[in-house]
Amino acid sequence: MRSIFKTSAAALAAATMLSGAAYADGHGVSGPLRIFSDMSNPAPRAVMEGMVERFTEANPGVEVELVITDREAWKTQIRNVLQSGTADIVNWYAGNRMAPYVEAGLFMDISDLWEEGGLTETLASTQGSMTMDDGIWGVPYTYYQWGVYYREDIFAELGLEAPTTWEEELSNCQAIVDSGRSCYTIGTQFLWTAGGWFDYLNMRTNGYDFHMELTAGEVPWTDDRVRATFENWQTLIDMGAFIDDHQSYSWQEALPFMVNGEATAYLMGNFAVAPLREAGLSDDQLGFYQFPQIDASIEPGEDAPTDTFHIAANAENVEAAEAFLLFVASAENQTLINNGDNLGQLPVNSEAGVDDDEFLNAGFDMLSNNAGGGIAQFFDRDAPAEMAQVAMQGFQQFMVDPSTLDQVLQILEGARQRIY
Amino acid sequence: MFPRPIQQYSPAARIGYQALLPFALLVWLIPLLAVMWFSVKSGDDFTQGNYWGWPEGGLEGVTNYWMVFAESDMPRYLWNSVVITVPTMIGAVALSCMTGFALGVYRFKGNLLIFFMFVAGNFVPFQILMVPVRDLTDQMGLYDTRMGLILFHIAFQTGFCTLFMRNFIRALPRELIEAARVEGVSEYRIFWYVVLPLMRPAIAALCVLIFTFIWNDFFWAVVLTQSPESQPVTAGITAFNAQFRAMYHLMSAGSIVAAIPPVAMFFLMQKHFIAGLTLGAVK
Repeated sequence: MRSIFKTSAAALAAATMLSGAAYADGHGVSGPLRIFSDMSNPAPRAVMEGMVERFTEANPGVEVELVITDREAWKTQIRNVLQSGTADIVNWYAGNRMAPYVEAGLFMDISDLWEEGGLTETLASTQGSMTMDDGIWGVPYTYYQWGVYYREDIFAELGLEAPTTWEEELSNCQAIVDSGRSCYTIGTQFLWTAGGWFDYLNMRTNGYDFHMELTAGEVPWTDDRVRATFENWQTLIDMGAFIDDHQSYSWQEALPFMVNGEATAYLMGNFAVAPLREAGLSDDQLGFYQFPQIDASIEPGEDAPTDTFHIAANAENVEAAEAFLLFVASAENQTLINNGDNLGQLPVNSEAGVDDDEFLNAGFDMLSNNAGGGIAQFFDRDAPAEMAQVAMQGFQQFMVDPSTLDQVLQILEGARQRIY
Repeated sequence: MFPRPIQQYSPAARIGYQALLPFALLVWLIPLLAVMWFSVKSGDDFTQGNYWGWPEGGLEGVTNYWMVFAESDMPRYLWNSVVITVPTMIGAVALSCMTGFALGVYRFKGNLLIFFMFVAGNFVPFQILMVPVRDLTDQMGLYDTRMGLILFHIAFQTGFCTLFMRNFIRALPRELIEAARVEGVSEYRIFWYVVLPLMRPAIAALCVLIFTFIWNDFFWAVVLTQSPESQPVTAGITAFNAQFRAMYHLMSAGSIVAAIPPVAMFFLMQKHFIAGLTLGAVK
């Protein structure tokens, strides 16, 4: 009896898998499919080529033409490619970064695909950041968490716990400063690291929705709520929480302070873990916590930059393109491409598996269960490029000399009125 | 004016000179020494903040250079550099031999004007040309191809080469050419059999100069190409950067490898190189 049950369960599973596969096959799609990708670095490039290979194996009728462009260059080329109609599928980013192409009608609305393919459930965590003007404009294939990576061993030595509230955070930091260390390492030479700090302080002080309004240019920078964010930031700066001379380091050059124990934590993306481990920090020494709450009534928003695929509005082979997007979004594919041998990031599909890695698990759990405010894409993706540049320069200046806050906010407000 | 030879200075000044020279040399070479040193360290040293000290895990030179040669696109970039540099060198020098001959030997209306146009090209900063040239190559379908880079380099370098060649030919004894004319030798044969052999030192010097110019070009390589299929090594080195991280050790090793051909060229052809720098100038 038991074996019969087992067999039928297996058969059932096989049948569901088959039907799933049949859908991914897109009912026997065929024809040429032109994909323009920006996954140009060696590991992502291999992932992209691998996806195309596996997709064509499952869909022998489709001839994929894959063009991989340098990631930076792609940012200026995507418009040309979309307008000239040379692509069916393109790589891009979620959130406000989609806006210019959505508004220009260059991306295809694939809300129906999300409904039919069940993506509204499996990709629920990013549905918000893929939605714009009541349409859904693409599918995500990977993201990664931001948060505070800290020296567990030094915290233990000082008798500290990972903070969950702002009070704990401040008392922790005071203890760390008193022990002759800095609370946080940071390298603001290339500005964006300061953008991360602003994202978190603002989302914790004023909430995700306000943060989105601000980056969308709907709120003046001289608003009192923005000032409140900067006040919290200044509390940390005045305590001596950040390392000195941070404006002369890149994010990598700020790592040694953490490795050598001169600073105890780093607000950074998960990509910081690999170099920290290589530099000799064990998982016992290295820990992760979510950026602490500041206002208990506010749901935490999180930065998780999401990379995506989109169908061009003037795509010629829409059927094959949809099949490819479903293939990309599938749990099986997302598990594979995000594992440690490939991208080493987080799958977006909630049914996908995550490598057994302390930090990936923590991030996956945090983003799936504890990011109720919403998922932001990071300051320089949420705000328009020009605004982000001016603003992040302002953040850096503020971090170096907090007394210039008024001047900084004036500059930012001037930029907002000019840019939006 | 040449400076007074050091031997003629007072003994105190000479000792001071000898003591300071190695120091100045060291200061001068620090960036280069740093790149060499970084190229034999492991990536972890940079994360540990151990920039100058002895690497903890031992020297990683072999690993780094092996990575560069065997596990990256570096050989391909080097090959691209060769494919771009050599035709440019041949093309620019060949063209300028002809233009130099025409402008240096014949007297015709507008000679000077044409010559100035060649020279004037050298005075246009290439930052100004960046956008139009990029659009032009794009419209010609040559964007991101080696041919696009080669054609542009030839066009741009021919101006300088023409100045160089024309002045050199001007300095040749005209009697040689006139004697040949009296003998009834055709102009083509005069160019080929009389003038060209005399130009050998200039051709050699110019080849060396152009080779190093083009090999070391970074600006146009970045503007006009972007894939491993067409990028020369100067631009390709950045491929060692991962999406988030800069691989200082691999970039350093790659830079050393990329610098070897022009440096070797310089030492092998030192005589011509220095001749090249002064030939056009002392006229």
